[in-house]
Parts: sequence; structure tokens; C-alpha cells
Amino acid sequence: MTVETEFVIADAVVASVAARAAAMTPGVVRLEPGLKGLVTAWSRAARQRWKGLDPAPAEGVRVRTAGGVVSVQVDIVTSAADQAAAVGQAVQRGVSRAVATETGLVVASVSVSILDIEPEVR
Amino acid sequence: MAVNQGYELPCDRNLELVWERLDLVGEGLADEHELTCPHCRTARESLLALREATAELVLQTEQPPPDLAGRIMSAVRAEVRRGQMLSLPTTEAGVVEVSEQAVAVVLRYAADAVGGVRARRCRVRTVGLGDAGESLVEVELTLAVSVRASGGSTMLDLVRTRVSAAAAARVGLRLVKLDLLVDDIYEVEE
Repeated sequence: MTVETEFVIADAVVASVAARAAAMTPGVVRLEPGLKGLVTAWSRAARQRWKGLDPAPAEGVRVRTAGGVVSVQVDIVTSAADQAAAVGQAVQRGVSRAVATETGLVVASVSVSILDIEPEVR
Repeated sequence: MAVNQGYELPCDRNLELVWERLDLVGEGLADEHELTCPHCRTARESLLALREATAELVLQTEQPPPDLAGRIMSAVRAEVRRGQMLSLPTTEAGVVEVSEQAVAVVLRYAADAVGGVRARRCRVRTVGLGDAGESLVEVELTLAVSVRASGGSTMLDLVRTRVSAAAAARVGLRLVKLDLLVDDIYEVEE
């Protein structure tokens, strides 16, 4: 007898995986949470602390799931040592690969917004 | 992290000033600039929204998160920047975009690297989209040059080369037009 098991992966999990993949991409200085991200992260942190958990960071990442199609939006700050366009594309690739291998979900699109480029230290 | 010092909005007002004058403006004591400037208004709305949100959080949690002010300022800056984005070429599904202000910083930095030149203001404007989906941009860069600088036109040629190279190498944008405006000269203190 086989038992059918369904796995449901919450958007927050996808966001955490995506955030880690993006932050690890060479040329990315940090993720930029923005206003909405900051407030959401704080309320999520407060909720989880209350339950005795430390939340995995996902600031700067928004995940949308519609009809089984996952799309990810990442806001980052890059270093001027690397070409912003190349870093952006590397983040797109890294995030979709990480989400696919760690959650099994296929990401339809990853959009990257580079909000700041930090100059190299001379 | 230098987010707390001297961040200027596109209208040349300082974000810290907007923060200081937030209550004055709320009481109807706004100056003429504050009444009309869209950048100041965006920044003010963001700061007010955050102040409300943080006030709630302060009531909820025993301790505010570390580096609260820095993170708020960084978030507000990001919000102001999000308004004006340029698209960059990509072959993956989805969009890669960069804020105009980030590009302006990179280009000003490239011009500053030329001896005897100080970059002042940099305006970046999108005029269309290229084949790979990248924005075609026009740039207007205002400069001050040193009184001692000799060979003005060679120097400006060098600025032009450096700025175009920075746009391609550091950002991945193609400039279709680069205007250099020299609007001041300065004394060198030695």
C-alpha cells in the first residue's frame, strides 16, 4: 500500500532559500529590505520569537505563487568591482537553481532590482 | 556603513533634514520647496509610515532591533530609488534593473578619478530600449575643473572615456549620449 504524501512549501521557505542564494552570489554586498520588507521582517520576527524560534532571514525577497507558478523578486546592493548586469544575472541563476534543488519547486522568473552600487574602496 | 551621513535626494535636499523637519511640515510650517517637491514628499511619506510602524513595534517588543536608525534610513533611501529604474540586459527569465541614482554614483565616481576634475551632478535619462532589453541612456554630467588643470579638452576627453567605460564595465549600460557641462572652476589647496 502506498501512502500519498503532499508537500506544501510555504512562500517564506522559498524566500529564505532565495535570500541565502542571492546573498552568497559574488558581487552582492547585501540584500536591501526596503520599507515593506523591514516591517514584515520585524513582525515575523516578533511572532516567531514569541513561539521561541529565530526566523531565517528573508529580507529583500518577495515570493509570489499563483497557480503553482513561483516568481521571485530580489532587491540587492552590488559592489562596483563587478558589473551590475552580470551580478544581476548571476543572482537570477543562483536563486532559481537553489530554489529548485532545495524545495523542488520550479521558479518561473527571478527579477532583480539593484538599488545601490557601492564604490570600491580606493 | 555610511547610511547615516549625508544622503541627498534627487532634489539636493538631505534626507536627515527631511527627517528633522518632519513635524514642522506636519504642523503646516513647510517651506515652498517642501510643498512642491515630489522627492521630498515621497521621503516624508516613507518616514512617517516607518515612524508609525516602529512606534507600534516599540510597544510590542522589549528591545528595538539593533541599528534601528541605520536600517530605517537605508530602507527609505531604497524606497526613493525604487521609483526610477533602468533595465539591464539579461538572458534569464525575469528582469534585472538598476536604480538611476546608483548609476549616477558610479559615473560621478569615474569622473572624479580624473585628476583636476570634480564631478558635481549627474542626470541619467532613459531614451529607449536596446535589442537585449537594456535601457539606452543619456547622461548629463556637471563638472568643476581645477584652475591649474592644463589642456582642458584632453582632460574632458579623458572624462568622457572613463565615464563611458564605467557605464559599460561597472553597470552594463550603453550610453547613447554623454553631455559634459563645466560649470565651475576651483582653487587647489596645497
